[in-house]
Amino acid sequence: MDPLSLLRGILDTTEDAARALVGRERIRLAVTGLSRAGKTVFLTSLIANLLAAGRGARTLPALSDAAGGRIRRVFIVPAGTETVPRFDPDAHLGALATDPPRWPERTEDFSTLSIAIDVERRTSLGGMLPERRITLDLIDYPGEWLLDLPMLRQDFAAWSEETLARLQRGMRAGAAAGFLAFLDGLPDDAAAEDALAKRGYTLYRDMLRTCRDVHGLRFLQPGRFLNPGPRGEAPLLWFFPMPATARGGLAQLCARRFDAYLADQRATFLDPFFSRFHRQVVLVDVLGALHAGEEAFHDTGDALSAVASIISGANWLERLLGAAPMRVAFAATKADHVPTRARDALAALVEHITLGARGRAEQSGAAVSFHAVAAIRCTEDAVARLEGHSVAAVRGVLLQDGVGATIYPGEVPMKPPEAAFWDAGLFTMPEFRPPRLDPAGVSGMPHLGLDALLAWLIGDAL
Amino acid sequence: MTVPDNRGGDSPEGLKRPRRIDGAPDEHRSDDAPDDRPRPRVMADATDGAAALPDAAAARPRVILDEGAKPTPRLDFGWDKAVAPVTLPVGRGWSSVALVGAGAALLVLGFSILEAGNFIAEQFARAAWLGGVTLAVALGGFGLVFAAIWREVRGYLALRTVDRARAALARGDAVELRAKLDAWQARLPAGRARAGDLGAAPIDAIVALVEAKMLAPIAQDAAALGRAAAVQAFAVTAVSPSPAADALIFVWRGLRLVRQVAALHGFRPGIAGTIALLRRVAVDAATVAATDVAVDAAVRGLLSSKLAEHVAGEAAAGAVAARRMILLSRAADEACRVLPRR
Ligand SMILES: Nc1nc2c(ncn2[C@@H]2O[C@H](COP(=O)(O)OP(=O)(O)OP(=O)(O)O)[C@@H](O)[C@H]2O)c(=O)[nH]1
Ligand SMILES: [Mg+2]
Repeated sequence: MDPLSLLRGILDTTEDAARALVGRERIRLAVTGLSRAGKTVFLTSLIANLLAAGRGARTLPALSDAAGGRIRRVFIVPAGTETVPRFDPDAHLGALATDPPRWPERTEDFSTLSIAIDVERRTSLGGMLPERRITLDLIDYPGEWLLDLPMLRQDFAAWSEETLARLQRGMRAGAAAGFLAFLDGLPDDAAAEDALAKRGYTLYRDMLRTCRDVHGLRFLQPGRFLNPGPRGEAPLLWFFPMPATARGGLAQLCARRFDAYLADQRATFLDPFFSRFHRQVVLVDVLGALHAGEEAFHDTGDALSAVASIISGANWLERLLGAAPMRVAFAATKADHVPTRARDALAALVEHITLGARGRAEQSGAAVSFHAVAAIRCTEDAVARLEGHSVAAVRGVLLQDGVGATIYPGEVPMKPPEAAFWDAGLFTMPEFRPPRLDPAGVSGMPHLGLDALLAWLIGDAL
Repeated sequence: MTVPDNRGGDSPEGLKRPRRIDGAPDEHRSDDAPDDRPRPRVMADATDGAAALPDAAAARPRVILDEGAKPTPRLDFGWDKAVAPVTLPVGRGWSSVALVGAGAALLVLGFSILEAGNFIAEQFARAAWLGGVTLAVALGGFGLVFAAIWREVRGYLALRTVDRARAALARGDAVELRAKLDAWQARLPAGRARAGDLGAAPIDAIVALVEAKMLAPIAQDAAALGRAAAVQAFAVTAVSPSPAADALIFVWRGLRLVRQVAALHGFRPGIAGTIALLRRVAVDAATVAATDVAVDAAVRGLLSSKLAEHVAGEAAAGAVAARRMILLSRAADEACRVLPRR
């Protein structure tokens, strides 16, 4: 920890203490999830259901009970002079409620929103005192960017070595064939030609895209290659991993750009918004990973644990300063893709896939728990007849053409499955239409298990 | 739901899958889809062969489209009804004291009307002109009494608009809120800025508009009234002969202040209304007292004035009195707002 961030840590801790003293706590909630894990939908549902709960609706019964029914008011904190875009729950809700409904696009930029929850005090004399106000700070961002976090602790040589080693294995090797051939053809003392740098970058980026979109892999760095964000592609991005033997100008150029890239990501994204969380929820599309095959499944786990080592991991000093989340909830998202009886298995599976991530969190003293949630419940339980057998399935309306369908999601194992399991082949879960929603969001939206998750995560702070 | 940590890692049921019956056709194949829209599909085909891997190739995930594949309406879980706020039957019956009071009032009023009726009839029996005069007197007298009662009731009911408007806001009921706000605007004293036609604006916009155009200026005026009352209270405590007199003057001034602030909001409560108002103010005062730095700032501003310098000896008691007045004006404003302060 450098002196500057230590000083900032001490100041932040003092501020937290002062806020707690006057009943104006602030909870920074890290919603972490790889791309397409369901962060944006989770936040939309969280906000809609909290606002509705503030109006007295029982949208989050477990949270209300954890708070002893003392939630009085919930509102979105009015905007100040932030330079960051604001997360727009109304727009997302509106899009989900229209006919035909639209799910949020891939998130392309950072956005934030704060929600204030007024609760009556716990003590008997509480009625005499003003209500406590807990402010929940939320952030949304492209999931791909999360993988830039572990890069911060590496230099170009170490990152290149690790990345190139990974490219030799499994499905990546196939996708990276073009890029690896290009690397092989490069002389070790290649000059700092921008044409070469750009060519290498393009090949490397296309490889990343193939890995993400075709193979369902998630450990893909750097994040802005896949999702360049609002500023588009800048020369800053024109680099790629290079073998240790390369010593020419091109290697130096790539190393410089690597450093500049990290400095930029750190300054605009990671330092201002991705430090000092009080609570964390890790969203994992376990079922999607399971259906994408063995390699994608393990890749997701690796990516999560790499990210966790930065967000939830903390040394003793950081822990002392309260800079690491105290509670980390791991949640399998889209739990409505499996029938009720399979949801326990889903939560158990998330426990296994996040083994590395959970280790980091527990090491730094955080409490962890595992859940299966659906931010928006889009299906109901059903029974399907498969080859004369009845199996538990779900029924929903498909997004594409509004046709009803029964989906048998396969058996959900409670631990990482054995080799034979993967022989069943890959499967793409269809997208569903959300149920009928009120565009004004007066009564929130149907969910599964969101309240229990929140009760565990922030119930003690209310 | 939280999954306990101690699950045995070797439990076999995790991997058990339904047995596959060979030769069954795959019900959903979209490889032959007529259009090229992305469709859910079963991707790998390697183990689809009926007898390829009889054991491992258990039931694969699959999508079974409804018969006919006609568009279906979106699901409806009846969520709105399931989560609707429980409205407790308001058991706000009459308290015994109120019953006794109402009974006594009815007896007094009722018997005096009967009495008057008898008396008028008697007077008519004596002489027609005598009866006429008596009737006129009785009508005039009772008319005044009923007018007073009517005013009380109206003043009391007017305060209820506040509750109704706030409830409508809490429910998110834009129509009701607009209606209540219109009724409230109509009652405001002439010369007050009005938000005008609230049209079809969404709730957020209505709230922001009413707050900015009407409630904020009213709050400023209420604060000014509070400051004036504070100066007076301060002066009184500085010169008054006895603490008892202080208290009396304070109560009277406070009561006037609360009614003045209520008038700013368009309420002219009678006796019953004032009592109801005071009850609300008492509830809000606790909140305002502890939260409001503005109160302290205002007191500090006052006490550094000339007045304070002259009577520095009594500053302590005076400061308390002044503080209370400012507090009271804030609390009264809080109690009378049609929309709660954000
Ligand atoms: N059925 C169902 N589908 C969901 C749910 N949550 C997310 N999804 C699906 O998952 C997709 C991705 O969700 P997003 O919230 O946009 O994912 P994200 O994590 O924000 O993704 P990036 O912005 O790309 O990082 C959505 O388009 C939905 O189709 C859920 O609760 N139920
Ligand atoms: Mg998103």
